Amino acid sequence: MEEDGRHIAPDLGLLTGEGSQQRIGTAGEAFPSRTFIWRDLPSHSFEEEQPTYYGRPVLKEPVWIWSVPVYFYVGGTAGASAVLAAAAHALGEGELDGLVKSCRRVAAVGGVVGSALLVYDLGRPERFLHMLRVIRPTSAMSLGSWVLAVAASATLGSALLAGRKGFLGRLGDLSGYVAALFGMPLSGYTAVLLGNTAVPVWNATRRSLPHLFIGTSVSGLASLFGLLPVGLEPQERTIVERFGVVGKVVDLAAMAVVEREAGHAEPALKEGVSGALWTAARILTGASLALSLLPGGKRARRVAGGLLGTAGALALRFAVFQAGKASARDPRATFRRQRDSHGEAPESSLDR
Amino acid sequence: MNADCIVIQGSNMAECHPVAFRWVMEAKARGAKIIHVDPRFTRTSAVADLHVPIRAGSDVVFLGALIRHVIENERYFKEYVLRYTNAPAILKEDFKDTEDLDGLFSGWDGEKGQYDPASWGYEGVEVGAAAGQRESYTGEPFSQRGTQHGAERFDFTLRNPRCVFQVLKRHFSRYTPEIVEEVCGIPPGLFFKVAEALCDSSGRERTAAFCYAVGWTQHSTGVQYIRTASILQLLLGNIGRPGGGILALRGHSSIQGSTDIPTLYDILPGYLAMPKDKTDTSFEEYVKLNDSPTGWWSEFPKYIVSLLKAWFGAAATKENGWLFDALPRLSGDHSHMTTVSAMADGLVKGYFLMGENPTVGSMHGAFHRAAMRKLDWLVVRDFAVTESADFWRDAPEIERGEVRTESIPTEVFFFPCAAHTEKDGSFTNTQRLLQWHHKAVEPPGDCRSELHFAWHLGRRLRDLYKDSTDPKDRGLLALTWDYPVEDAIEEPSAEAVLKEISGFRVADGAPVDGFTQLKDDGSTACGCWIYSGSYKDGVNQPARRKSAREQSWVAPEWGWAWPVNRRILYNRASADPEGRPWSERKRYVWWDEEKKKWTGEDEPDFILERPPSYRPPEDAQGIDTLAGDTPFVMQGDGLGWLFAPTGLMDGPLPTHYEPQEGVIENPLYGQQCNPTRMEWNRRENPYHRPWNDPRFPHVITTYRLTEHHTAGAMSRWLSWLSELQPAMFCEVSPELAREKGLTNGGWATITTARGEIEARVLMTERLPPLRMRGRVIHQIGLPYHWGSKGLVRGDAANELIAFVADPNVSIQESKALTGNIVAGRRSRGRRVVTSGPLVPSLGGNRDGKDLNRDLPVVGQKRTGPHGISGARMKQDEET
Amino acid sequence: MAVGFFTDTTICIGCKACEVACKQWNQLPDDGLLFTGMSYDNTASLGASTWRHVSFIERPVPLTGQETGLGDFSWLLMSDVCKHCQRAGCLEACPTGAILRTEFDSVYVQPDICNGCGYCVVSCPFGVIDRREDDGRAWKCTLCYDRLKGGLEPACAKACPTDSIQFGDLDELQDRARDRLERLHRHGMAEAYLYGADAAGQPGTEGLNAFFLLVDRPEVYNLPSDPVAPAKKAAPAWTSMAFAVLGMAAAAVGAVLSARGGGD
Ligand SMILES: Nc1nc2c(c(=O)[nH]1)N[C@H]1C(S)=C(S)[C@@H](COP(=O)(O)OP(=O)(O)OC[C@H]3O[C@@H](n4cnc5c(=O)[nH]c(N)nc54)[C@H](O)[C@@H]3O)O[C@H]1N2
Ligand SMILES: Nc1nc2c(c(=O)[nH]1)N[C@H]1C(S)=C(S)[C@@H](COP(=O)(O)OP(=O)(O)OC[C@H]3O[C@@H](n4cnc5c(=O)[nH]c(N)nc54)[C@H](O)[C@@H]3O)O[C@H]1N2
Ligand code: SF4
Ligand code: SF4
Ligand code: SF4
Ligand code: SF4
Ligand code: SF4
Ligand SMILES: [Mo]
Repeated sequence: MEEDGRHIAPDLGLLTGEGSQQRIGTAGEAFPSRTFIWRDLPSHSFEEEQPTYYGRPVLKEPVWIWSVPVYFYVGGTAGASAVLAAAAHALGEGELDGLVKSCRRVAAVGGVVGSALLVYDLGRPERFLHMLRVIRPTSAMSLGSWVLAVAASATLGSALLAGRKGFLGRLGDLSGYVAALFGMPLSGYTAVLLGNTAVPVWNATRRSLPHLFIGTSVSGLASLFGLLPVGLEPQERTIVERFGVVGKVVDLAAMAVVEREAGHAEPALKEGVSGALWTAARILTGASLALSLLPGGKRARRVAGGLLGTAGALALRFAVFQAGKASARDPRATFRRQRDSHGEAPESSLDR
Repeated sequence: MNADCIVIQGSNMAECHPVAFRWVMEAKARGAKIIHVDPRFTRTSAVADLHVPIRAGSDVVFLGALIRHVIENERYFKEYVLRYTNAPAILKEDFKDTEDLDGLFSGWDGEKGQYDPASWGYEGVEVGAAAGQRESYTGEPFSQRGTQHGAERFDFTLRNPRCVFQVLKRHFSRYTPEIVEEVCGIPPGLFFKVAEALCDSSGRERTAAFCYAVGWTQHSTGVQYIRTASILQLLLGNIGRPGGGILALRGHSSIQGSTDIPTLYDILPGYLAMPKDKTDTSFEEYVKLNDSPTGWWSEFPKYIVSLLKAWFGAAATKENGWLFDALPRLSGDHSHMTTVSAMADGLVKGYFLMGENPTVGSMHGAFHRAAMRKLDWLVVRDFAVTESADFWRDAPEIERGEVRTESIPTEVFFFPCAAHTEKDGSFTNTQRLLQWHHKAVEPPGDCRSELHFAWHLGRRLRDLYKDSTDPKDRGLLALTWDYPVEDAIEEPSAEAVLKEISGFRVADGAPVDGFTQLKDDGSTACGCWIYSGSYKDGVNQPARRKSAREQSWVAPEWGWAWPVNRRILYNRASADPEGRPWSERKRYVWWDEEKKKWTGEDEPDFILERPPSYRPPEDAQGIDTLAGDTPFVMQGDGLGWLFAPTGLMDGPLPTHYEPQEGVIENPLYGQQCNPTRMEWNRRENPYHRPWNDPRFPHVITTYRLTEHHTAGAMSRWLSWLSELQPAMFCEVSPELAREKGLTNGGWATITTARGEIEARVLMTERLPPLRMRGRVIHQIGLPYHWGSKGLVRGDAANELIAFVADPNVSIQESKALTGNIVAGRRSRGRRVVTSGPLVPSLGGNRDGKDLNRDLPVVGQKRTGPHGISGARMKQDEET
Repeated sequence: MAVGFFTDTTICIGCKACEVACKQWNQLPDDGLLFTGMSYDNTASLGASTWRHVSFIERPVPLTGQETGLGDFSWLLMSDVCKHCQRAGCLEACPTGAILRTEFDSVYVQPDICNGCGYCVVSCPFGVIDRREDDGRAWKCTLCYDRLKGGLEPACAKACPTDSIQFGDLDELQDRARDRLERLHRHGMAEAYLYGADAAGQPGTEGLNAFFLLVDRPEVYNLPSDPVAPAKKAAPAWTSMAFAVLGMAAAAVGAVLSARGGGD
């Protein structure tokens, strides 16, 4: 009773208020940001030019943990994989079955692992099924959850039934196409999910972010194949590598656009942890692109390229994720964007 | 709410009286000007129209200058002043003012160390005070309240140099705007703004109100602060009228109630004098000394007899003097600090703390604990074990190993108490309004109400002594102790107590309508005459809750206000001498010519059928001596006293004295401090230099925060309040912070000769340094809510403050003292005075110049028991 | 019936009765006993267990109509709360349907549905709603749904001694607010304005059911000057995603065909 932060003796007071069911660890720990102490004269937090409230964040920092950016990577890769599988199946005239099979496997594993990662991030994991209570068109997460649900089961089906004969085989192929259909949004919706938030750097870059995420999904997949011990025909390898090259090129191009779009939130991509990750991602991806452009089919080169590419893809996901946190912490990122009428209000009404 | 201007001075109303403050905001919305005069810019200032920073302890100068402004510029309400105050009264020839005696009035008695008020009287008569210090001079007793028809001689031209008005004018002549700047640190421009706002909002058409609280009272000359405001308001005609008045914002939710039905040592219920052992030898003697041939107090016998009947019932008869002899007698000053110092000298064996936490809340915690260590037993009744209850194991001196728990003999009993939600009863608020509260839940466990504790204690004692024949036990055994009890816990009925307080006919127990029905022949009983009528018609009047919308704007049917449900006292003054409202805008009560009686929005505060034209015949007695145009019926002469011929220990007119510990030499008089102030000259109670103490260069003032309550035991255990103000802090100006190297949110240590505490630093422009005589004076602000217990803990500000008090009401000086501040935390184990001062004391001499608090004539004041010197000293021999 | 709050900061005395009344009625835990040094504000911000929060702004500039011996100084006090937006970012983001709009037109989180996905947290343009880590769910002001059900006004409004917080029928509140603004302007307080009183004033949210009267820029009170419910700007994001994924499909097809064609 002492440490529940309410100090209501249960034997004396009734705990029936709306907030009475709030589970408490120890008060204070729930709000690490509150260890903050303003060290200056209070009135110094008032600046004529760009006032803030003691420099405190105006927005809440994303509460998500590492499993989310990892999911971005896994889900994205899975989506790309499903798409490639379908393409190979449709145009391969049976000669690319190896590629199809391993792509479907990657996608299936991605679907399962991805779902696990998402559930892990929930504050109340036991309630993950609530995600499918409703469909909310305004919520990228709602749509995304459905996409993931369908895509994951489809990829699973397609993987298990891959290579079967007869009806089951046809069913597997069908779910392969379904998986591809949903795999496309699966690797892209996460960008929209970030873009449609109040977090300055994400919201500002909501147009370019999808291209970045798709690029990373593709390059991620290609790099992964560089590492997986799967026996692919040379021809199949070529397919994967060309696919990957496109991905990496899009990636690097998109990064430049994102930086431009970020505007006032750009510091988040330049400074601090997120800045470092961002630069790292660029270098790694660039390097792996360079490697994959070198002629010759050396295995070592493939592995190295795969390593660099995978690292790059992961770094990029984390960079974007961390940048979001950083820009949410910075009240000016929000204030200045809105002053530059990135909001909705007509210029005129902003003169206060 | 009906005021045109509200001056809040000596109170932080918004923070300490938020609910009452709603009406100030209401008045503001109606166009009233809100002025806040306070050393700090507080949450009250934040919504005021004008904020005037003032040096703590200098208000008499500011208010005195306002009086001067009003007189010099003839802005006073002439007819009101002429007819309703004693302005025209002629004073004795031998009266000498502070003007003549460098800060003293005539009548100073060096031997006794107090004033003989004889020379303060009206020419040819002797006047007594209606309230206040009834033994202001312990020489041969004179009629304590009695007066003949006020003054004998008047000069209605107000020109006579010895008339009150001229004396007043002369007395305040040196309280100029320049002096205000020099003493209060207030620039003339700001001063004139207040003066004009006040004058413009006074007169026939408009009224202005003053709100004060302990920012005024807690000074060694506190009572005179309020006197000064009263004089100002009388001059402006702002007393007894809607939107006028001087509002004392009382403290605890029923602190008003506990003065009406006193927890004070020197009065009986309804402000009847406590019998004194030296003078009140018999009922007849007592009545003789307290009865008054004129004014309302001529009703005195009815009230005391009814009180004794209420207490002793059948046992009280005319023959045995209503058992008056069974009442305890007052042997001297038994006020709080005096009692504690007697305790320290081993003269007090047992101590009840019922609803008090003095080691945090009262001055000089260390001295308090030292005194309590001398007790045989201590009883504490509270919600939780307080710092006071745990003084024997949880205290700075024990933390430091200076005192060992084993060496403390005191036996401590702790009783858990019931909260107001767990018992029936009434609160009497600032407005004298009684409001009933009903028990919402049963008190848990062993928690019991005060009523339960007191009544059952009494019951057991009576049982214990039932066979005693000792005369001293007579009163105890004779008490009517028969309240009906309710519930399993045998809770006495609070309503039954209210019925007794309100009064009833002895014969049939029928409730009386009010004190006009009380008799002095034993046929009525009444526990407190001013509360008489609160149980009128057998109805619990305080429990009435008719909504404002369903009644007149005065809302007479919400609760019940004493006396006789009257909402504004002396409201006869809201009508002109002929009984017509001064103005339509301010109409309140008036004389109805047809009905031949007083009527109006409120219960008229006058003899209902007495026409304005009435003049008392020569042989008139009692209330018949009150003329039809004298509104202040409680005064012998029915007039408002600009000049108080008697009743005050420290002079008939307010005079500026510096606090016991000041930063400047009194620029007005040679007398530095209040000559009659109470001092405790003891090793454990060292004082700083009167001014310019190099060790303690800054002014310290202490105060409250909305988020906590007084000594904190009620708020520091509540997470919802504790998180709002989680740490003891000190407020300092950026300038002082820079000078001392303090950082916001960091630690600072504040010291006086009594103790040392640490606090978090809150830098702010809200506590400005004052520029005076070319010097910059820094002020340090300290809330006093923290102690060593609760969810949030911190050092108690009161460890810093010395025993020193106002002579009239013995209130401590906790609003203005001196101290020092340094960066960083205090030495491990807080240092407090257990034996002698923390710092070596400096002699009075500094660069050859004597720093004395008193003029030589005053200087010889001798020191009485417990090191006390001051007006009360002589009354202080224990018996 | 749409109800809401009109919070008039010009008559707030910073007593925090609203903050305490809210915690008490809802039996919320404290969120740490920490000294912040931010004037008298020690709870710092709205959060999962602080649904009313009083801000203290010490300004080195004077307040119109006020004079103080301190010179250029004023102290702004303001009680903040969930805005119950007409276009509520949190509600539009909630994938579980835990957040819904009630019959009182307020925005309410159902604690028994919320699974703590945290999407509302990043979707509130005011940074109001938050997830309490040790509880795992998102919490915010309920507009005292339980009290409204019982015909009582919200605890915070009830407790406010100066009626700085006014609760009532939205249309009526808006009229009252405009009158008040009118009055202040007449008395020379030109800087006073209404924040979020209607869609015109704040298109990004299409108006707030809990709106404010302020006397300095929103940022001073830690409020965004031009907040937008993120979903209002979702379209371009979805479009460019569509192009991107089609691009990916094309790339896949291209890769396959090119390799098959040129494959030996
Ligand atoms: N929230 C809350 N409310 C309370 C209480 C509480 O503890 N908490 N306590 C209750 C009690 S017991 C009481 S007695 C009342 C007290 O009510 P107040 O008297 O209003 O409270 P304080 O804060 O003690 O002092 C008021 C102001 O006096 C100022 N002051 C100090 N010295 C001087 C001076 O020399 N001159 C002038 N003009 N001003 C000065 C201080 O700066 C302070 O702002 O409050 C009651 N209400
Ligand atoms: N430095 C400095 N010191 C001051 C002041 C100041 O302004 N500055 N102000 C002075 C003033 S005005 C005052 S009033 C005092 C207050 O000083 P105290 O009265 O000593 O302090 P409180 O905390 O009010 O103590 C009241 C106690 O009664 C308990 N209590 C509450 N209800 C009940 C009940 O029904 N029954 C019983 N038995 N106990 C109950 C509470 O838990 C609390 O512990 O402080 C004085 N001290
Ligand atoms: S705390 Fe109680 S007494 Fe004090 S203002 Fe509030 S309601 Fe009135
Ligand atoms: S303010 Fe934030 S939390 Fe409140 S309704 Fe609007 S979006 Fe939701
Ligand atoms: S955290 Fe709860 S309320 Fe917030 S969006 Fe997720 S499910 Fe909805
Ligand atoms: S409406 Fe209710 S829940 Fe919301 S802030 Fe007020 S009291 Fe708290
Ligand atoms: S209760 Fe009212 S006055 Fe007090 S802080 Fe809250 S809004 Fe301001
Ligand atoms: Mo008090």
